[in-house]
Amino acid sequence: MADLKALEHPTLKVPYELLNKRFRAAQKTIDREVSKTQIAIDDLDRCLQSSTVTVGQMKTALDGVVEKLTFLKRKSEESIQEETDAAYVCKKRIEHLKEYEVSHPTQEAQWKKKRLDRMLVEYFLRCGYYRTSLQLAEHSEIQDLTNIDLFLMSKEIEESLERHETTACLQWCHDNKSKLRKMKSTLEYNLRQQEFIELVRQDQRLEAVGHARKYFTLTEESQLSVVQRVMGLLAFPKDTSLEPYKSLLDENRWHSLVEQFRYENFKLYQLSNTSVFGISLQAGLSALKTPHCYKSDGSGKNTDCPVCSKHLNELAKDLPYAHCAQSR
Amino acid sequence: MEAIEAVDREINKVLNKFENFKSQRTQTLQDLIQCLEKTRTELSDAPDEDELAPSHSLIMSQTCLNIKDTLNQIAFEHKELHGNVSKVGKAIDRNFVSDFGGIMQDMMSNDKNMDKINQVICEHFLRHGMLDIAEEMIQETGLQIDETIKEPFLELHRILEALKHKDLQPALIWANENRIRLQAKNSCLEFKLHRLKFIDLIKQGHSHQLMALIYARNFAQFAHTHCKEVQSLMGSLLFVHQGLENSPYSYLLDPYLWEDIADIFTRDACALLGLSVESPLSICVKAGCSALPPLLNIKQVMIKRQCSNVWSSKDELPVEIDLGPDLRYHSTFACPILRQQSTDTNPPMRLTCGHVISRDALNKLANGNKYDTYLYFTVCSHGVADSSVPIVQWSRVSQMPNKYTFDQI
Repeated sequence: MADLKALEHPTLKVPYELLNKRFRAAQKTIDREVSKTQIAIDDLDRCLQSSTVTVGQMKTALDGVVEKLTFLKRKSEESIQEETDAAYVCKKRIEHLKEYEVSHPTQEAQWKKKRLDRMLVEYFLRCGYYRTSLQLAEHSEIQDLTNIDLFLMSKEIEESLERHETTACLQWCHDNKSKLRKMKSTLEYNLRQQEFIELVRQDQRLEAVGHARKYFTLTEESQLSVVQRVMGLLAFPKDTSLEPYKSLLDENRWHSLVEQFRYENFKLYQLSNTSVFGISLQAGLSALKTPHCYKSDGSGKNTDCPVCSKHLNELAKDLPYAHCAQSR
Repeated sequence: MEAIEAVDREINKVLNKFENFKSQRTQTLQDLIQCLEKTRTELSDAPDEDELAPSHSLIMSQTCLNIKDTLNQIAFEHKELHGNVSKVGKAIDRNFVSDFGGIMQDMMSNDKNMDKINQVICEHFLRHGMLDIAEEMIQETGLQIDETIKEPFLELHRILEALKHKDLQPALIWANENRIRLQAKNSCLEFKLHRLKFIDLIKQGHSHQLMALIYARNFAQFAHTHCKEVQSLMGSLLFVHQGLENSPYSYLLDPYLWEDIADIFTRDACALLGLSVESPLSICVKAGCSALPPLLNIKQVMIKRQCSNVWSSKDELPVEIDLGPDLRYHSTFACPILRQQSTDTNPPMRLTCGHVISRDALNKLANGNKYDTYLYFTVCSHGVADSSVPIVQWSRVSQMPNKYTFDQI
């Protein structure tokens, strides 16, 4: 039971964050449509207040209100359906976790196997092995229990960044504006800077200046020196070898943008930077590691002991030994 | 478990509220629309240029006000739902651990380590017969897996699949090929395979009786090792006509025998190939899942007591983790006095009273330090001549061999 508490936070938190996101989107939609409808009603009211009002005007005004109301009804139904769907995903995962408590030995072994598969799927997704993770999820029938959708979405954005395109990522920044602002994210700003650099690289310096006027005016104090350096790039040719301008033109800046996006995406959904699989593997290796596994003459090896097996033996070399206060 | 119950409760509340909101408010909006459409239809009879009757005007104004109020209410009610939604998040944060920082150094950031981890995972897939997933993984990760490593797993899997479908032939061929090595390990695999084949033939009734008899010649080689079993198998031939189910030999039809054979085959094959029976990855992760809660707890305690710098992850974990007897692969000796594991430089020493302590503890006792002698009293109560004299004398100490097992004591 205690291992559920220790390991399953991401399983539940990610769908919760999605639910939260959909809730906020729904609230925005409802507020927007309600105010539109109210404008239409005000129009109707104005009609009524005027001294003479014809039936024709009434009809038009009424039509307007009915149309807005119908639209509101449809939109709010859709939004609430999306929210409920997100809540059901949370519910499904909770139900799966409940199965751990009530199972007997064979079912428990099955549940643990599913858990290992879940962890492996997430590990593959974090490493970028998308096809393998999809196949594994399908094989074990755990698609609902893993956060595949989240990672596939971020895969698209990462790929677009690798292709030196900023549109998708900027759209993502816009969608998550409020949360990113709370996190004091500099991603959008860095993207704009990169766009500027690309314009300079293509010798479109006038456009670059226009771009800077548009996006760099709201610079904070801390960013000022960075912006100054970037602006300084205008004065140098694109194949300059002078630092720091050379490194500004470096293609690797795109890689650091990808990493920054990945990091902030994880933070949005409250995922930590290490996978649960990695932590469990390390903890397990440590807990199983004994000096017998590392005897120089190899006399202590046991074929059943995982730490004595070839690759895990090398992996566990730098890890702490298991603490042993009683003879076993 | 209460952590799950807590989150479950909140989620159920949220689902309830959403469903209610949806059904009620959809109805409300529908009513409003219908009311307006009714008015619209009433008006459609009158020509457009006519002026609107004052009574109509009044009613319309009132309706407008109502609609505006209702809309505001709807927006407000939806906003209120946020309270329930955020309670779910709070329940999750309260009951589940989100932060693993500081427990282990990060092994994953090293590329070489990643390669080894991927190798281990790939072998795990091969072992469990998930061959296409392993293939996909090899392609995507660019792993270099030796064909010689794959081969035994593939063959193992092939034979196990056949056994699952009650096809004994591949297993029999394999057992035949490896007969000498199996016999060296006292394995009863081949006998059990022949037995299952024999039972299968008998099950098919009278028509196969002769075949069963001829097949029974295979038992000749097992006459020494499995005499009694061969005898009872031959006895079962008597009941071929009426069927084994109604005979004292009905136990031979137990489906458990098929599960058992798969198990035995896996065990023996792995032993022969020098592989562990269970995938090392599964065992490791299982151990890790049991180990994490105590490690997280101790981390909390250390943070509270502000001694987190005491735990350097270089030597040993800070706390003992009991993984249960299944996950114990090496027997270890820990000195009962100093509570430390023995090492090559600090081996166990056996005293004449029969107790075993580590050499460091022994040295401490021999120093004649009173405190250390008292320490020893906690372990051994006899052989104490005088409270001030250590009960150990050098001439009577003998050294235990390093391969210590409980049985030798």
